[in-house]
Amino acid sequence: MKTLAVVVTTPPYSHLTITALTYVEAALVAGINVIGVFFYQDGVMHANEDISIASDEYQAIAHWQRLQQEYQLPLHICITAAEKRGIACDAIDNDKINNAFTVSGLGELVELTTKATRLVQF
Amino acid sequence: MTSIEQQSSSSAQENGLAIINSKAPFSSTHGKDALDIALIFGSFEQKVSLFFQGDGVYQLIADQDGSLLAIKDYLKTFSAFEFYDIEDIYVCQQSLSNRQLDENFHIDEVKVLSSIEFSAALNRHQHVLRF
Repeated sequence: MKTLAVVVTTPPYSHLTITALTYVEAALVAGINVIGVFFYQDGVMHANEDISIASDEYQAIAHWQRLQQEYQLPLHICITAAEKRGIACDAIDNDKINNAFTVSGLGELVELTTKATRLVQF
Repeated sequence: MTSIEQQSSSSAQENGLAIINSKAPFSSTHGKDALDIALIFGSFEQKVSLFFQGDGVYQLIADQDGSLLAIKDYLKTFSAFEFYDIEDIYVCQQSLSNRQLDENFHIDEVKVLSSIEFSAALNRHQHVLRF
């Protein structure tokens, strides 16, 4: 079976993220096996619980959360990139991290890449 | 058979990940972020090739010192590529000549390719990331 992995490097307040979300949702609706989304560089900002985007703007974080719940879509953040951006990943029950996201490392990206038929970066 | 046809005929074997470096070394963290991925793939014994294109070619030019700008000089780590079995390092000849840069690189084993060869080499990979 063909599998898809996605890399997101843009933050929740970037319009480019909307393209990524639309793409991932379209793939899921089409029944494609999306094995995971890896958030790297500014992409890790999606997991930041303290980010609040004006309610009349696109709610990227809420959409990732919804996809994670509806499709059990794994959302991985790179720990090094996250810590660098003030998202502390060390404590258990960390209230800085949105619980839809899993703290991972670049090793997870290796795993996703080797398993995926196709890797798409946004 | 032309060299391009020969390259594409071997396309099934190479596979792996291609990382395109398209940004100058010291104005952003893209180069370092790409390097971190390359080294992780190397340490997991996964095949990874590096492509340098556009302003990314500046990452290969010799005699640069990021520490003058108080930047950690991640370019020094390029010399460790052989320990990570990263052997396929390609640079776009057109990008070099557009910037009037000589083929004076700070690491060995850099293969200078024409635009056509560059795209053919890229096409041999299953996955591509661009930084």
